[in-house]
Amino acid sequence: MLKTLLKKQIMENFSFFWLDRKHNTVRKGGNLVLWVLLYAFLFLSLSLVFGSVAIMLCEPFVEAKMGWLYFAMMGLMAVAIGAFGSVFNTYASLYQAKDNDMLLAMPIKPGKLLLSRLSGVYVMGLLYELLVMIPVLIIYYVFAKPGIAAVVLSILVTLVISVFILTLSTVLGWVVALISSKTKHKSFITVALSLGFIAGYYYVYGKAYGMIQSVLMAPETAAGFIKRKLYPVYQMGLAADGDLVAFLIFTAMVLALFGVLWLVLEKSYIKITTANKGEAKKAYKERLAKAGTVDGALLRKEAKCFLGSPNYMLNCGLGIVFMLVATVFVLIKGDMVYDIAYSVFGENYGFLSLLVCGAVCLMTCMNDISAPSVSLEGKNIWLLQSFPVTGWQALRAKLSFHLLATSVPLFLFTLSTVFVLKLTPAYAVIVPVVVILFALFMAELGLFINLLTPNLNWTSEIVPIKQSAGVMIVLLGGWVFVAALGGLYYVLMKFISPLLYMLLAAALFLAASAGLFLWLKNKGAKIFEAI
Amino acid sequence: MLKIEHLTKVYGDKKAVDDLSLHIRPGEIYGFIGHNGAGKTTTIKSCCGILQYDSGEVFVDGVSMKENPIACKAKIAYIPDNPDLYEFMTGIQFLNFVADIFGVSAGERQERIRKYADEFELTADLAQPVSAYSHGMKQKLAIISALIHEPKLIIMDEPFVGLDPKASHILKGIMRDICDRGGAIFFSTHVLEVAEKLCDKVAIIKGGKLIKSGTMEEVKGDTSLENVFLELEDDNA
Repeated sequence: MLKTLLKKQIMENFSFFWLDRKHNTVRKGGNLVLWVLLYAFLFLSLSLVFGSVAIMLCEPFVEAKMGWLYFAMMGLMAVAIGAFGSVFNTYASLYQAKDNDMLLAMPIKPGKLLLSRLSGVYVMGLLYELLVMIPVLIIYYVFAKPGIAAVVLSILVTLVISVFILTLSTVLGWVVALISSKTKHKSFITVALSLGFIAGYYYVYGKAYGMIQSVLMAPETAAGFIKRKLYPVYQMGLAADGDLVAFLIFTAMVLALFGVLWLVLEKSYIKITTANKGEAKKAYKERLAKAGTVDGALLRKEAKCFLGSPNYMLNCGLGIVFMLVATVFVLIKGDMVYDIAYSVFGENYGFLSLLVCGAVCLMTCMNDISAPSVSLEGKNIWLLQSFPVTGWQALRAKLSFHLLATSVPLFLFTLSTVFVLKLTPAYAVIVPVVVILFALFMAELGLFINLLTPNLNWTSEIVPIKQSAGVMIVLLGGWVFVAALGGLYYVLMKFISPLLYMLLAAALFLAASAGLFLWLKNKGAKIFEAI
Repeated sequence: MLKIEHLTKVYGDKKAVDDLSLHIRPGEIYGFIGHNGAGKTTTIKSCCGILQYDSGEVFVDGVSMKENPIACKAKIAYIPDNPDLYEFMTGIQFLNFVADIFGVSAGERQERIRKYADEFELTADLAQPVSAYSHGMKQKLAIISALIHEPKLIIMDEPFVGLDPKASHILKGIMRDICDRGGAIFFSTHVLEVAEKLCDKVAIIKGGKLIKSGTMEEVKGDTSLENVFLELEDDNA
């Protein structure tokens, strides 16, 4: 039975590979290979980022006979990435799956059900961890040339770390579930807790470069600190560097921690999963409602869908929070931002404007609200299809909400930065134009990809939100695209002024947006109507 | 009110609906009967513009579903067999959403919501999120939302599944009332006793093909609808 449950869970997690939801067919042959290659490319691109950090650390530490410190540092990074990657789907995967009722009604022991659910969370955490650990291990093998035993231990440590990531993610998911089962404002609590986690994460991330530099400057001090204050991390580093005893100690610690968590989870799983959500019945008071327009109703529906789902908000609207925080920072620390900018770049308004554009565009990529919006219709798709609304009206509402949610913080951040940096009038005009056209392009791109790869048959909303091709491509592809545009400017900077480059970029975004707009209005609308 | 002409819908190499023609006139409650997988839901979804059919035509009040789907849908209300509704809305938000889509004025919607929610005993729950509703409550909400724009034609797929006896009784009354006022009802059901008592006309479908249709008297004669249905099933096996 457990095998069947695990198989079902893994099939669900990886169904985006082999299942073509649009045509309800199984991908085979070249199509499947192409799909796998696309994900492999995304994986490889992100791995290269962590690989560059690993290269920086590995050689000096290995030469100083401190390979363990390399693993300690990179292991911590893997834990952070793994937990960050999987934590937001833990609550939904463990407690909110749509097939919960069906499975709970079957003669399945809660422990087995829990284990199968955890396997889904584990796999996601492992995938994120491997983004870091694969380049870490390869670079270590190249520089340190360890023996077979050390290689085996380093691989085993990678697996033990994945159990630790699972433990961390599950603890947070459990806390969220526990609070949610006892509170009225479930969405708010989930979002607040998650934003707190994100704030902590980015605080550490912001300090990471400085920490790495400090460790490189004085590795003995860092080593002493880790030995004294972070004993499990020290053992993890030693174990990955080939110390068998340290491996046993580290493994025992992780398994003990997971064991305790398992006991707590197993005891509370059914209770939390089947709990009345603690929502007191709200009394209905009849009021004369305002009659609204069709477009207004569709737009409000999109807003309610977004604001009613912590998963949707956290995974697809994080850019809003980032831009608002950045706006406040720029306005409060305006003088400091100005001083730093002009001390580094002088009065090179053009280059500064390009940097502002790049920063806003990178944050804009984190708003991929439109990317899962078609899939999120799920089994409710019959409503829009049976109502007297065109496919284009439905799509336009999705697009409008994405743009509304993005454009306000986008303008606030862009204009405050333009104001603080005292950019010249030409740049003060072109920068907002470039970023808003980019935001339009990304909103349309998300919708376009989702229409080509819709998934209406999900059991947990986390599947279309976090594990869909569209979201991945828009988020990661968007970053790669922005980085590529930055790189292209670097190549062309001798031949082209920043202003002209931004004008060309604006023209490119405008043309791409216009093309996508026409496609969405015609072909896209037809696809939506017949989906 | 609803004219289905030579409707054909193919999935792969299987004809789910095969050259089906029916005519539902104003004032008629038309039952649609068939075993599981006979093609009832496919026919119904094609009539509502949810499924695009391969050949044939569907006319709603003389308007072609192929040519002008929006005008057709404005005259229709559809209630599916499984009422998946927006769980992120409350009941009243959902009703107001549907009313906005169909352009129902504030006064009319208030009056109709009050009337039907009271009849189905759902008023007290209208402020609750749809996610907290039971299957039966969702079904009632779907029915109220279908009635909110006073459609000329209501198409229902197994409307009585999940409804309590009182709600079923009320729905039957509403169906008759709509038809008395010149509307039409086309619905599928497995409950042959209900069809026999409620319907003016009935159609029996098997393997996507219409095997018998007409007034209740023409179809069942002196025997029961159940006997006719079972005989036809055997004859066409």
